Amino acid sequence: MSELESFRAEIDKCVKCGTCRSICPTTRVLGRESACARGKLTLIKAYLDGEIEMSETFMRHIKECAMCGGCRDVCPAGVKTTDVYLAARAEFVEKKGLPFLASLIFKNLDSSRLMPFALKLGTRFKGLFFKGAETDTGLVSRFSLPLVGGGRLMPEVAGTFFLDRKEVRKLGKRQKKGGDQMGSSSANIAFFAGCGVNYLMPDVGSASLKCIERTGSTVSVPKGQVCCGMPAYYTGDMETARRLAKKNIEVFESYDYDYVATSCATCSHGLKTVFKNLFKDDDEMRERAGAFAEKVRDITELLARDLGPMEAASTGSEETGSSDRPVSVTYHDPCHLNRNQGIKAEPRALLEGTDGIEFKNMKFACSCCGLGGGLSMTNYDLSIAISKRKADGALASGADVVATACPGCIVQLRDAMHRYGVDKKVVHVVELL
Amino acid sequence: MLPERVYAALEDVVGKENITASKEDLLCYSYDATNTTFMPDAVLFPATAVEVSRVVEIANTEKFGLIPRGAGTGFTGGSLAVFGGVVLSTERMKSVIEIDEENLTAVVEPGVITWEFQQDVEAVGLFYPPDPTSKKTSTIGGNIAECAGGPRAVKYGVTRDYILGLEVVLPTGEIISTGTSTMKGVVGYDLTRLMAGSEGTLGIITKATLRLIPKPEKVITMLVSFLDVAAAAAAVSDIIAARIMPSTLELIDAFSIKCIEEYDPERLKNVGALLIIEVDGISEAADKAAERVEEVCGSAGATGFETATDKHDVKNLWKARRSISPALFKLKPNKINEDVVVPRSRIMELMTGLERIGTERRLIIACFGHAGDGNIHMNIMYDRNNIDEATNADMAVKEAFELTLSLGGTISGEHGVGTTKAKYLDMELGPVEVALMQRLKSMFDPNNILNPGKIFSGSASDKKVPAPAF
Ligand SMILES: Cc1cc2nc3c(=O)[nH]c(=O)nc-3n(C[C@H](O)[C@H](O)[C@H](O)COP(=O)(O)OP(=O)(O)OC[C@H]3O[C@@H](n4cnc5c(N)ncnc54)[C@H](O)[C@@H]3O)c2cc1C
Repeated sequence: MSELESFRAEIDKCVKCGTCRSICPTTRVLGRESACARGKLTLIKAYLDGEIEMSETFMRHIKECAMCGGCRDVCPAGVKTTDVYLAARAEFVEKKGLPFLASLIFKNLDSSRLMPFALKLGTRFKGLFFKGAETDTGLVSRFSLPLVGGGRLMPEVAGTFFLDRKEVRKLGKRQKKGGDQMGSSSANIAFFAGCGVNYLMPDVGSASLKCIERTGSTVSVPKGQVCCGMPAYYTGDMETARRLAKKNIEVFESYDYDYVATSCATCSHGLKTVFKNLFKDDDEMRERAGAFAEKVRDITELLARDLGPMEAASTGSEETGSSDRPVSVTYHDPCHLNRNQGIKAEPRALLEGTDGIEFKNMKFACSCCGLGGGLSMTNYDLSIAISKRKADGALASGADVVATACPGCIVQLRDAMHRYGVDKKVVHVVELL
Repeated sequence: MLPERVYAALEDVVGKENITASKEDLLCYSYDATNTTFMPDAVLFPATAVEVSRVVEIANTEKFGLIPRGAGTGFTGGSLAVFGGVVLSTERMKSVIEIDEENLTAVVEPGVITWEFQQDVEAVGLFYPPDPTSKKTSTIGGNIAECAGGPRAVKYGVTRDYILGLEVVLPTGEIISTGTSTMKGVVGYDLTRLMAGSEGTLGIITKATLRLIPKPEKVITMLVSFLDVAAAAAAVSDIIAARIMPSTLELIDAFSIKCIEEYDPERLKNVGALLIIEVDGISEAADKAAERVEEVCGSAGATGFETATDKHDVKNLWKARRSISPALFKLKPNKINEDVVVPRSRIMELMTGLERIGTERRLIIACFGHAGDGNIHMNIMYDRNNIDEATNADMAVKEAFELTLSLGGTISGEHGVGTTKAKYLDMELGPVEVALMQRLKSMFDPNNILNPGKIFSGSASDKKVPAPAF
């Protein structure tokens, strides 16, 4: 029996009430029943029944989805929609394989040299790929590359990756098991960077470390950590996701820590829940993943709940410190943080508790930015169309700055602000504290 | 299958992007909230009344059925292609054309989602009351076609009461305007009201002028618990008799509560029956009404009374309430969902009567709904594969309708007849009335191309115009 087949009973729970239509960001944009859960589940069932083939149309409809989990959250019948979609995506990969470029990238995500090398090469020759001047948003305009659509803002790849920063590399050595932190009363935090922070936003990583240190805790950044594997997972490449999860668990197991922290919502969701689920058939690994997961915290959660208050910043942050007028900040809820982990109040509390920040809620703060589930790669037009609601919401909020807690969302929101002509900075919460 | 020639003609009207006949897409338009399946031959997404009118003309020439569809949340199969044919989706007709703050009116396209429209008008201090519990999904067009009601109907009335005028494409292709954009108008027959509740059989609504009212200053939400459903039903009648005008008076029985417990275990666990009551209006008036509600509920034997103070609580409560209908499937795999209405003084008789039918037929009949206007959603839960249960369920429906009618009620308050209630039509309507309605239908739609097989299909007198099919 295929993995997908085992979801038949889950699919049959759908009673076709249509509640999923009300929240689905792709249905809102596409205006088609095939976009919502009710339609997708119908198609998957028809496929299982042999009524339709694994056709292009079928696969396209299933992939018209940012995997935000909104339908799962509102479903009165409690259908675990996203699990069903994932099983369908896995079936596609199993039967059809991965697109060439995706497979190339996924194969190399855990190579500590090849990925950085490829990206560095990209940076070196960025004149060839990137077009136009750098803009104020920290993104550059880009020619169409095969994997991504054309005419969009892409973030610049960092000159020096986060994990290669000198001060970060130093932190790789500390707090080996039985190391010098034994007996200290402060918490030990092991920081997981993730690709977004490592390759694109090293400053977010550094700001995170600074915030942790300001609570009096000590930080290490375990050496040898790799991509969390979520991009592969959401594409349906479970093999790669498992490989990366295992590698990360092994790396962190050789360190001593009270918490694992990350400033990427997708990573924290992956580390907390997905890792465990990836080892359904491997008792030993599942247990190790479970023990690891218990320690994982999103950075906003860690700072707002688990660690003591932060010392006042020595110098104000770039955004808040420079003027007497408070900066008004609004917040976008990453789906992987809000929907998948229930973390909604913590980032707001952090912002509201910071001097010099006036917090303003934005309407539909928890609607999806449109990046997730590989959508920005497989269907950029749809992905960026979904983000319009966020640009509108940010504008209407009247805030100066949009904060969020996920590098993926940041990339997407910056692109959206640029695309829809909304002149607002988009930053990570930790950069404002 | 649509002949190629017809497909080409339709594509010519709406454009390549807005027609589909792929199996995958047809599957997605083969169902509605009745959870039954009929494959259409094609789906169209027209953008304007003119396009709709041209499609209707082709349907008349080529003789195929057209099925208007909003969000597909209907409970009686109205948007299903029971004889195949072409589904006309209004998903692209979704703009709010105008909100006139001076005259308190709005003009909208049919595909506008009810709740989103309400957000728009409330942002400028206005109010569009009709609020079917499906409001976050269902469309204004679907609401008009079914004459949808909702919790607020007890004070504010139903969709019909907020339509001033319509633009309609007739089943013969002409585009007409009905009604006015003024508050009054008596010139000619009231075609607007005829369209409201016509279930997509008399015309395709392409635009609606709606009446708005000022947004109430204050809303107070109360949650009142009772030992059993009879006590709660009695309290409903008492409130109405006490001349209090709640803006919402919803009843939920123990079976239904069980299915939504998880939304608020603290409040919902082990409760025999619940009323959700809202009063609204000018601040002082609302406060006063809330006090009176508390008094009446007290003397009616309420075991718990709580005023929701927190906005989040209220939202959560309504979320739970909106989930009842789909969540009932936790009890049994199948349900027959009927929305009977009785005069408000007789709700208790209805509830106890339904309880008796349930016991006699050994079935769970879960009841909830807009009790304040006498409208109860009774859900007969059963397992389709258990022949004994299925037969009993069928009999129970009939008995429940007989009971309803004997209490002076009607067999559908808001969900319409569609396909699911067609066979019971004669129970409520006399042969002369049915014949008149059918004459009306064939006058509007001589070729029976618009939503064939709905309302009349099962009644004995309907065999005159066969439904067209390829
Ligand atoms: C969970 C749930 C709760 C519900 N609660 C309520 C409730 O409280 N009150 C209530 O009244 N109903 C309720 N309903 C039923 C349903 O939502 C309503 O009947 C609603 O009005 C249907 O709107 P729709 O857009 O989904 O229409 P559809 O289901 O797509 O169509 C319904 C009918 O309208 C016709 N139609 C649609 N658009 C047009 C048009 N532009 N021109 C002509 N005909 C058209 C269709 O042909 C069909 O006959 C509920 C349904 C669900 C699933």
